[in-house]
Amino acid sequence: MAQSALVNRHMPVVWRVAFRMLRDRQEAEDVTQETFLRAWKMLPEWEGRSKFSTWACTVAINLCRDRMKKKAPVLMETLPEREAGDLPPEQALHQKQAGARISALIDALPERQKEALILSALEGMGNKEAAAAMQVSVEALESLLSRARRTLRQALAEGQEE
Amino acid sequence: MRQTDMTDARVLQLLETYGAWPMAWPEEEREAAEAHLAAHPERFADALAEARLLDAAFEAEPMPEPDPSLAARILADAPQPRTARDSLGARLSRILMPNGQRWPAGAALASLGMGLFAGYTASASSVPATYETEAEAVVYAALGYDQYDTYLEEAPLDE
Repeated sequence: MAQSALVNRHMPVVWRVAFRMLRDRQEAEDVTQETFLRAWKMLPEWEGRSKFSTWACTVAINLCRDRMKKKAPVLMETLPEREAGDLPPEQALHQKQAGARISALIDALPERQKEALILSALEGMGNKEAAAAMQVSVEALESLLSRARRTLRQALAEGQEE
Repeated sequence: MRQTDMTDARVLQLLETYGAWPMAWPEEEREAAEAHLAAHPERFADALAEARLLDAAFEAEPMPEPDPSLAARILADAPQPRTARDSLGARLSRILMPNGQRWPAGAALASLGMGLFAGYTASASSVPATYETEAEAVVYAALGYDQYDTYLEEAPLDE
């Protein structure tokens, strides 16, 4: 069924974008469900619109922005527990710490930089699609990305010096 | 983009913006940037190392996965697809009452229904492929017409 294919293909990305923005599984699910509810209403008149993935990410990002306006900032202590897979304990701990650290650094980025980084670096979206999803130009996306990466590089370098 | 159009500044910008992995670079610049980087590796060594360090940090960021039940919940909200084929009765009604015209229903419908099965068994096997659906073909055959247009031309609205 076409609807199943659409959900199976695009839902995980929409959910991950929402989760990385909101850091709350339930809220990410709510955003994802709302995104697809809107999609079901739009689909009969879809012809000529953008790629579904671009449209869905735009909707999800806007829903996340609305929710973030109402939320208090996420504190380091509230970051969710992360699983490190089947690595040996020492390596798993290192991986977990490294993952938690980069997640915390990404979370601390300004909102638009964080969105750009999530779409481009973490979800592997092409520059044009990521820019379209954020409703900015490619040049603006590149500016956001380079500023985000510069901030993260500096933070990681400072962390290594400590 | 041709390699000759690629500059040191743009390669550095790509590394700083998209990281060290060429697949993350804009498609239209990728080939030229890779060639430029390969031709002058000493110019980009530091930027490349920094970009790789950050890329490695991103790889440590675990990929979260949604709850396995979420897809089913989303699909439960999806509009139900129309049935592939309406019931024979519904199609029969549409044919008997094109454009909403009213058929003197009682006797005509009853006699038509009785003839339907016999008509189908006698004629369905020779139904031309141009019929829209098998159900419609059955009805036309039962009525003794080759196709819907013929039916509209010849069938009386009232009997």
